[in-house]
Amino acid sequence: MTGHLASVATHLPVWGAQEARVAGPDEDALTLAVAAGRAAMAAAPDVRVERVVLVTRDLPVLEGGSTAVLLAGLDLPPATLASEVLGGAVAALDQLGDARPGTLVIGADVTFGAGAGAALAGAGGLAVTPLGRRDASLPTHVRDAGGVVTDYDDARLLRDRGVLAGIAALALTDAPDAVAGLARKDAAAVAKAAPALPTTGASAPFFAIAAGSRVLVAVDQAAVSAASLTGAAPFVAHAPSARPLPKRKPGAPVDLAIALPAYERAFSAKLGFKAGRCPACGTLALPPRHRCLECGDESGQELTALPRDGEVYTVVTIHVPVPGLATPYSLAIVELGDTGVRALVHVTDDEPGAVAIGDRGEMLFRLVAVRSGVRDYGYAFAPARAAAEAAA
Amino acid sequence: MRPVAVVGAGMTPFAEHFDLGMKDLLPRAVGEALASVEKGIDRSELQAAWFGELTTSDGFPSGLLADSCGLLDIPVTRVENACATGNDAVRNAFFAVASGYIDVALVVGADKVRETSARSTFWDWMAMTRDMAWDYPLGLVAPANFALHAARYLHESPATREHMAMVAVKNHHNAVTNPKAHLRFEITVEQVLNAPTVVAPFGLYDCTPQSDGAAALVLAAADVADRYTSTPVWVRGVGLGLDRVMHQHKRDMTTFPATVKAAKQAFAMAGLGPQDMSVAEVHDCFSAVELISYEDLGFCERFGAAKLVEAGETTLTGRLPVNPSGGLKAKGHPPGATGVAQCVEIAEQLWGRAANQVDGARHGLAHNIGGPTAVSAVTVLSTEQS
Repeated sequence: MTGHLASVATHLPVWGAQEARVAGPDEDALTLAVAAGRAAMAAAPDVRVERVVLVTRDLPVLEGGSTAVLLAGLDLPPATLASEVLGGAVAALDQLGDARPGTLVIGADVTFGAGAGAALAGAGGLAVTPLGRRDASLPTHVRDAGGVVTDYDDARLLRDRGVLAGIAALALTDAPDAVAGLARKDAAAVAKAAPALPTTGASAPFFAIAAGSRVLVAVDQAAVSAASLTGAAPFVAHAPSARPLPKRKPGAPVDLAIALPAYERAFSAKLGFKAGRCPACGTLALPPRHRCLECGDESGQELTALPRDGEVYTVVTIHVPVPGLATPYSLAIVELGDTGVRALVHVTDDEPGAVAIGDRGEMLFRLVAVRSGVRDYGYAFAPARAAAEAAA
Repeated sequence: MRPVAVVGAGMTPFAEHFDLGMKDLLPRAVGEALASVEKGIDRSELQAAWFGELTTSDGFPSGLLADSCGLLDIPVTRVENACATGNDAVRNAFFAVASGYIDVALVVGADKVRETSARSTFWDWMAMTRDMAWDYPLGLVAPANFALHAARYLHESPATREHMAMVAVKNHHNAVTNPKAHLRFEITVEQVLNAPTVVAPFGLYDCTPQSDGAAALVLAAADVADRYTSTPVWVRGVGLGLDRVMHQHKRDMTTFPATVKAAKQAFAMAGLGPQDMSVAEVHDCFSAVELISYEDLGFCERFGAAKLVEAGETTLTGRLPVNPSGGLKAKGHPPGATGVAQCVEIAEQLWGRAANQVDGARHGLAHNIGGPTAVSAVTVLSTEQS
């Protein structure tokens, strides 16, 4: 089997060091996955997505509806097949080599370099042909189900008996030109000219493919997998200049209340960024509502996608300590496209207080809060400064 | 409807009353209001009571009032209308007397904001005023609620942070000589501008303190007012206005349409206009809110508030003194009590015995704007029955 990629996208958060990004407080594996996934879908608009596979070891929750969040953020119908695959670079490369047309494969990392990659499989494009794999157990790094990490501190053991022995066992005809899953100096031991990759987990193969790899080896401790890459596909990279995370004071611990019925009622519109459209006069309402804001029609609104570009109508920055929230943070009312619809949202991807009335930017899928253990997703406003750097 | 008069008015000091519970504050305010009745009144003459309380401190509000004040034999209704609670309690009692249902009514407003920790108040209040799915998790704390308006107002109008500061300085100055006020000290414009930021553009001195307190009024029908006083203060107009509750749906955030509607109703009922007012207690939970409210109440033209404060027209010696009591900013703001206490202040101004007396005051106004800036209540009082 060979996977044919119609598009490839990579996404890096704005925070951290240039070569080692960190997720912002409103980012996690799901928001990073949505960012990369949306970019891959936009780059291959003719391919219909039938299934989504998210590969990561940084799932924010092990139970509690992550696939629904992912589909809503990607604006895919809830009927779409969606799976969470627990794995790193090997699992991600295996999924790419095995991807049927219509499969959106996403790899997301938070812990060891934050970033995400996505590829949408189609009928042609960049061919990913598996060259072999070997699973082996040399658990020098163990993370148990409760998140407790134990390290067996012996890098040479892992390199010699795990990585190098595994690659040798594959008996590759052509030498690998990139290694996904290893830090840069360790990758050089496998392939001298291996490109530096910003992540070492499930998203790493996407960054390697983006770097032009033709023979790619993925490593996950002692497990290895290799694939050849031929042909080409449209490629999109979101790689803004890195900035240090703004210093903020954590709020005093508090368990924020959640009304789960309200969460469930709002879910589709809130995570899909959709307004209700009045069937009588066409007025859009965010959030959707029973009675039209303009004409009073009550015959039932349908959800419709909102534009994601906007202009700040008003903005404030909260400095006073607020339990449960890190301060300072900025809140803005953003007017969306030319719809007249406004959204009240956090400002993100910029220092608190940096945004002013009249600034333009875009709405991004982000974590809004964690309430009673429930991760509450929605949208935040990123000023165009961040977007402009991403394009550069 | 028949004319209704204020015949008694009283209040506790506004402060952090850590030593007094709701059951201690209520009888003190009611007792002072009854004692203020010129020709005397026995509490058995009160026929019904309206009690404005925004939060619920020490339990069931109506019952607490009846129980703690010896009013177990009359009906008591709790009124809750966000920060407009106080003036709305006055309004409801007014209707009962004006309609002829009763002749003498008691109005009480009270809140104990400091019964919870200073910080936890944020989430308690957000749970009361925000959409639980869309807005609550954002942390739109009370100062941010108003700051969203203030930021846009500063953007569009000639007003600056200095003009906001002038309001705070004025109201602090007035509070110094009001023994009932919470913050009785002078501040300067520089202090306001250099104070720690709470929610930009509000610094610490742009914000109301968190206060406890209670206030009470005795209302009587014109037919019986003579029994109680030779100087009735007439409730000439009441108004209550609402607006969209979500900030996203307020088209023009440089104004509070709820105030415009409430003022229009109250002035129309009174047969008076903003130009007739001799004194006003205006909702100044945050300095900029007083500026915006000048315009919404018709005290100046749109975006004319900066000029009004620059000219000193709303100081104690100006053309229209605003917040002679110190306002919410310095007298304090226990929300349920605030509107009732504003009417206590205006009544005392019209009786000529206020702490900061405005010479020859004839007509006065009390104003609240609250909740998610979606409700306003206005009361117009006068020395003249019509």
